[in-house]
Amino acid sequence: MNILLLNTHLKYITMIAIVVQTCCTGLSAQVPELTFMPHWLPQAQFAGYYVAEAKGYYKHEGLSVRIVHPTASSTQSPTLKLATGEVDMISLFLVSALSERARGVELVNIAQVSQHSGLLFVTKKNSQINSLEQLEGKKIGIWKSGFDEIPKALINSRNIKVNWTPILSSVNMFTLGGIDAMTVMWYNEYDQIINAGYNPDELTTFFFSDYDYDIPEDGLYCLNETIQKRPVDLRKFVNASMKGWEYAREHPEEAIDIVLGVMKKAHVATNYAHQKWMLTKVLQLMETEEPQQKGVLNKALFEKAQQALLIENRIQNPVRYSDFYKPVRVHK
Amino acid sequence: MIIMVPMFNKSLSSRIVFYVLSLCVVLFLISLMVFYASSKQQLEEMTYQYAEEVTQKTVLQTEQFLSPVVKLAEQAGWLCKQMLNQPDSITMLTLKMAANNPEIKGMAVAFEPSFYSQKGYYFSPYTYRQDDRLITMQLGSENYEYFYIDWYQIPMHTGSAYWSEPYYDTGGGDALMTTYSLPLYRGAAAEGKPFAIVKIDVALDWLTENVSSLKILETGYATVLSGNGIFVTHPNEALIMNQSIFSYASELNNAELREIGRSMQRKKSGFVSSTLKGVERMIYFTRLPSSDWTIAVIFPKSEIYLPLRSITLILVVVLLVGLALLSIIISRIVKQQLNPLGKFAAAVHIIAEGNFNVALPGIKTNDEMKGLHDAFESMQHKLDHYIRSLTETTSLKEKIESELRIAREIQMSMIPKTFPPFPSRKEIDQFAVLIPAREVGGDLYDYYINENKLYFIIGDVSGKGIPSSLLMAVTRSLFRSISQYLTDAAAIMSGLNSMLAQNNDSNMFVTLFLGILDLETGNMSYCNAGHNPPLITTDTTRFFPVIPNLPLGIMDGFEFKKQEMQLNDNTRFLLYTDGITEAENVQQQLYGDERLLQFVEGTTFESPQALIEALLEDVQLHVDGAEQSDDMTMLALLFKGVQQKYEKSIKLKNEIEQIALLQDFIEVTGEELGLESSLVMKLNLALEEAVSNVILYAYPRLPDKEIIVSVTLKTNDLIFTVTDTGVPFDPTLNENPDIHLPATERPVGGLGIFLIRQIMNEVTYSRIHDINVFTMKKRL
Repeated sequence: MNILLLNTHLKYITMIAIVVQTCCTGLSAQVPELTFMPHWLPQAQFAGYYVAEAKGYYKHEGLSVRIVHPTASSTQSPTLKLATGEVDMISLFLVSALSERARGVELVNIAQVSQHSGLLFVTKKNSQINSLEQLEGKKIGIWKSGFDEIPKALINSRNIKVNWTPILSSVNMFTLGGIDAMTVMWYNEYDQIINAGYNPDELTTFFFSDYDYDIPEDGLYCLNETIQKRPVDLRKFVNASMKGWEYAREHPEEAIDIVLGVMKKAHVATNYAHQKWMLTKVLQLMETEEPQQKGVLNKALFEKAQQALLIENRIQNPVRYSDFYKPVRVHK
Repeated sequence: MIIMVPMFNKSLSSRIVFYVLSLCVVLFLISLMVFYASSKQQLEEMTYQYAEEVTQKTVLQTEQFLSPVVKLAEQAGWLCKQMLNQPDSITMLTLKMAANNPEIKGMAVAFEPSFYSQKGYYFSPYTYRQDDRLITMQLGSENYEYFYIDWYQIPMHTGSAYWSEPYYDTGGGDALMTTYSLPLYRGAAAEGKPFAIVKIDVALDWLTENVSSLKILETGYATVLSGNGIFVTHPNEALIMNQSIFSYASELNNAELREIGRSMQRKKSGFVSSTLKGVERMIYFTRLPSSDWTIAVIFPKSEIYLPLRSITLILVVVLLVGLALLSIIISRIVKQQLNPLGKFAAAVHIIAEGNFNVALPGIKTNDEMKGLHDAFESMQHKLDHYIRSLTETTSLKEKIESELRIAREIQMSMIPKTFPPFPSRKEIDQFAVLIPAREVGGDLYDYYINENKLYFIIGDVSGKGIPSSLLMAVTRSLFRSISQYLTDAAAIMSGLNSMLAQNNDSNMFVTLFLGILDLETGNMSYCNAGHNPPLITTDTTRFFPVIPNLPLGIMDGFEFKKQEMQLNDNTRFLLYTDGITEAENVQQQLYGDERLLQFVEGTTFESPQALIEALLEDVQLHVDGAEQSDDMTMLALLFKGVQQKYEKSIKLKNEIEQIALLQDFIEVTGEELGLESSLVMKLNLALEEAVSNVILYAYPRLPDKEIIVSVTLKTNDLIFTVTDTGVPFDPTLNENPDIHLPATERPVGGLGIFLIRQIMNEVTYSRIHDINVFTMKKRL
């Protein structure tokens, strides 16, 4: 066999190899990948995303979405993961996001999922605390992991001196009498207290929304650069996710089953009743007066949240609404 | 029982067996119910007790495991305080204690932040066991800020020891763990803020195994719940660590279960029941003394009674078998005992057919059956005897009855029964009946006519039956014979009385009414001997005025007084015996004289027969089916009136001139009888012909011979008789003349008899003792 021929052969082979490689690369490039990290362990709080994934809404949008979760004992916050580029998208409370932004993480809100505050203080009725003012000097449980800004802003706004007691996650400190009051989420810890044997009529509740602190919570965030690089993928993600939430609203039973499946996989202890409660309440918090308000960050509430953070000295410089909120979804 | 029902009506033995068994079943059911109820209660108590014991035993076992942990923690705490200045010794302490106590998984002493300045922010020596190796390390780090973990935070804030909620050991696989945390205080008392927490980790697998192995009844199980009500162990693994009793209650939508969970948190122990998943379950729970965990046993209430069910089933089976045996035995015994009854019945059937000497079943026992046997035997003998005598009596009775029948026939033949009895006597019409109450009676009636006098009687002999009937016959015979010789009513009565009174040993008597009616004059003489006065109807109806006198046969020589009366035309009598007036209905009311009088008064007396028949009907109406107690006799008599008589004769000589005398004779007769002149003319013509015949043919030319012509009126017939002593001559033999021939050609005399036949209704000729008797009858 002569060399020329061999060369010719090699040429062909090389050409084929290049073509194949290009094709493959081209194919894989057609399914862009997104990594999404909710800001807590899997639970019904994030049902919409699990449903969207389970029902194939992401795939249908031509996305390959990977949902990863933080661990209970992890100190690496989702924001950190976002900042390091480990994940593309995170969910975050509005105030947490504002704080992180102030710390220099260039994150932006691309959709405000929750529209209301799910925060409240809970006391035992037999503690005789019937008003916020009566919390004066009492031990109030507060998450150590963050999200303490609004509770503190609310208490401070009323010039009440309390003994804030950081707590990781359980309600045992409250149920066992280690603290007098506890900051809880309507859709989560409150039900945990109920499921630890306390009846609603044995508890006193102080909903933040009743004290002019109806600050919206869960929103979707990414880095500013991501929105510039992959606006289409993000829009697709938000659309599919909102579709997932709609499905969960219409099929709560199925949605809870999906959530439980995810939780089981992650070895997170839970039960049907609690997740049902959570889904119901989370969906309530998502409700808006106008349909077009869905996923929109209300500017006034944004300002209110920022104001609270400023007062609480959590941030020094306010961020502009338009710099912070960059919706990827096109609203009709 | 089902088998018994069809047999129920079959036989006595079946019935006895049925009743006995029914009673047995009822008794059994009652005792079964009592047994069931008391056993149920006992079982419940026993089960509850058992559940309690089992739980308490588990509690004890758990405590035996947990209390050393508490002791160990306290020991560690004390030691820790002794070596507080040597933090490294505390590290060694954790290692030593973990090494010396293999039952613990790990041990730590965690201090408040920056407790030892030289040890940094976190000082928390921790030794734990991994694959039989002991690893000592510092618990706290930036990644594990133990200050905020329950095992540290809760005892730190509450100031008291704390058993943590169970958790999965993330390091050592899926082992279920709990942690005992003891706060350490500087002083001896629990004052101020603790400075450190002693923490001992223990695995819960022993508890899981222990509790899982607990079995209560069939499907009962035990479970452990944490202070928050979380399932630590449960047969359904999905519940463990995932569900609290409260979330589970919420999932099942069972408010009751939630309340039970709350009771578990608040009470030391208790017994509750709840319907879980459609089954009523008993729950016994008790809280662990050292922690606020709860151990509960749960079992379906129905399972408490499972052993009872099997026992009951066995009992029922035993009883059914027992009942079956009992029924067989009882039925055998009863059948054996009652066997002779069937034979008795068969024997009685044969006896009923008349065979009294059938063999009875032999009875060896000396009981009621023997009594029955003896009674049957006695009955057999008595029946035999009775039937024999009955047969004799019956044949005797039949004989008597047949004789009585004959006697009745004889008696009835004594009294006249042909009606009308004297058809030729236009003066009277009469009818009578005699209805004896028995075969033979004591009533009588009789009548006959002698020398234009009607003798009639009606009477009643005292008593009834054969003696009366005999006396009746005697009385009747005496009446007939005596009245032949004596014509006076009183005399006849006296004669009868005298005859009957003599030799009247039986003191019987006869009431009698006797009447003698002179048919030519209408005069009636009568005599009553104590009899009911007859009824007389003329213009009115009334009782006959009678002198009662005395009944016959009572007093010999009694002077009977007779009475007389002149009867008008169409006088009616009704004679009767007291059988009529004393006829009783069922209410024992008599027919009575009054009703008799009224009835007869209201009846048109068409004929004696019609009256008697109507009266009998009325009497029957009154008695209305009541039995006749006395003979009933009636005799009705109608006196129409005395019959007129006309009889005349004339003697003529055998000369044709004598015809004129005959004409005068006929005309006088016609005048006397008031006949029409045309009839007289016709009679004249017929008699002229008849006499002419005698003159011409019987006495040819013998002028001294006599011809007698007589005329008699008998009722409505005018009878002419022409007699002569001439040669035999029968004018009736002459043929009817041919009246179409001219007179000269007709044979002599032939026309005469033709004429006579035309005028008269009946023409007869007879020759009696050389006399020609030619009779002509003309109906008026």
